[in-house]
Amino acid sequence: MTMLPKAPPGAKRLGLVIDLDTCVGCHACAVSCKEWNSGGEAGLLPDYDKQGPEPDGVWFNRVHSYEVADQGCSRTVNLPRSCLHCEDALCVTVCPTGASYKRAEDGIVLVDPEICIGCKLCSWACPYGAREFDEEAGVMRKCTLCVDRIYDKSLPEAEREPACVAACPTRARHFGDLADPESRVSRLVAERGGKNLLEELGYRPTNKYLPSRKATIPVEPRKADGESREGVGAALLKLLDRALSR
Amino acid sequence: MKPASSILLLTTATGFAFGLLAWIGAYAALGLLPAEAHFALTGIALGLFLASLGLGVSLLHLGRMDRAWRSFSQWRSSWLSREGVGAVLVYPVAILFGAAARLHHLGLATRLLGAALVVTSLATVFCTAMIYASLKPIRQWHNSHTAPDYLIYAVFSGALLFALLHTAMIGRAGATDLIAAATAAAALVAKRAYWHHVDAQTPLASLAAAIGLPKDKDVKPLDAPHFTENYVLREMGFAIARRHGAKLRRIALGLGFGAPLALSLLASLSILPLAATAVALACAVIGLLTERWLFFAEATHVAALYYGRRV
Repeated sequence: MTMLPKAPPGAKRLGLVIDLDTCVGCHACAVSCKEWNSGGEAGLLPDYDKQGPEPDGVWFNRVHSYEVADQGCSRTVNLPRSCLHCEDALCVTVCPTGASYKRAEDGIVLVDPEICIGCKLCSWACPYGAREFDEEAGVMRKCTLCVDRIYDKSLPEAEREPACVAACPTRARHFGDLADPESRVSRLVAERGGKNLLEELGYRPTNKYLPSRKATIPVEPRKADGESREGVGAALLKLLDRALSR
Repeated sequence: MKPASSILLLTTATGFAFGLLAWIGAYAALGLLPAEAHFALTGIALGLFLASLGLGVSLLHLGRMDRAWRSFSQWRSSWLSREGVGAVLVYPVAILFGAAARLHHLGLATRLLGAALVVTSLATVFCTAMIYASLKPIRQWHNSHTAPDYLIYAVFSGALLFALLHTAMIGRAGATDLIAAATAAAALVAKRAYWHHVDAQTPLASLAAAIGLPKDKDVKPLDAPHFTENYVLREMGFAIARRHGAKLRRIALGLGFGAPLALSLLASLSILPLAATAVALACAVIGLLTERWLFFAEATHVAALYYGRRV
């Protein structure tokens, strides 16, 4: 069913909160995602021309780096880009088959690879470029928010989070329920002023990005030369300096 | 956006097909359908053949064409699904209409079915157009020109086919050629208005907004996630040189609409009517395919912003 579901009262809205202040652009999340989704229940994510001059393949997560001009200086901002599990997901409503759907219970947007006809329209409808076509299976692929991990009771509870979150060495990625204002991710978004990407397009993405903070490291103002030097040693040095300067 | 040949052929062929069927239906509904027994049937057969050709070719676009039947299920939300349903509805209506026209030329049933044929044919073209018009990330498609334009081009291409069929089967009839000329002029005006509109559009968003910063921040791409093209860049990062675009626009305008307009006027003055309408049709096919290619090639997708492309 490709009508957007009405979330039942108390339904979760699972998603990611990504801290652009601490993301170092190491691509660990992207690689870990690729690995998990090539071995997990989502099936193999294909690679083409692996050893050739034009290697290519399906990835659910792509890490861009940008240079942002900031008061005469510039700052590097790393942006991991993946499905944002939007509330107004046009990729779902354009699907002619019902393969592309949004789960009512937790808001995760998925593609059923058994139903998808590979018309690619959903990828055109996504402003974030989050969907990539699987040329081998002939169906569309996308981030599953590791739905095969986060509910897996055989995993220790602490590990029931998406592979990208588990892999992040700077803990820049946070996973949780954004429908619950008291959840850790919701509080992070509130405290840090979490942002939507391409807000003006109106897709109401679930995933949020925390903007870089202004670095304010308190430093003692530097004293002028001489002022700081005191004592006999300093007096001797001053004398020597004066003698040599003649 | 990458111009996929299967989609160009689909939308152009179904434009001719549903346009022709709509004209036959309209002539019947208005009681003007020529009485020659084979005219309506030939037109219906040609229309359904072209529609089948377009729909058949469109299957090649699918990654899993064996599952194409599934695309009829989501008509409540998806314009692509509605297009499929509409196209399939045209067949029984057209066949019933053909039978009615054969049994009682211009009886009440023929007239009503003719009207139904107009509605189903044009509704299908409208659904095709709305597939594109509903895509918010593509400013060249998501605007008020797309849907009326597709209808105008279908009505124009159908009028050309109708005029040729009429000239070939019944002989000269100035009215059909004048109608073809008028629709060509309308199509020409519509295309120029569309280009005027998209050329004046501002980008949908800035790179800064795409990464969640205030939209006027100065942001430059530093490192791309990958060194080679991926699906997103191939499909949505397609770009043509402005110089080539201008040349192709002239070809689309001249061959697609200008030549058919002039040739249809010649035919209406009974100057080589059959040759003129046939050449007009050939020009329109090439011109409309060029126009459709440009419709894709000149369309930019917001996702390409992430790679530092201009959208």
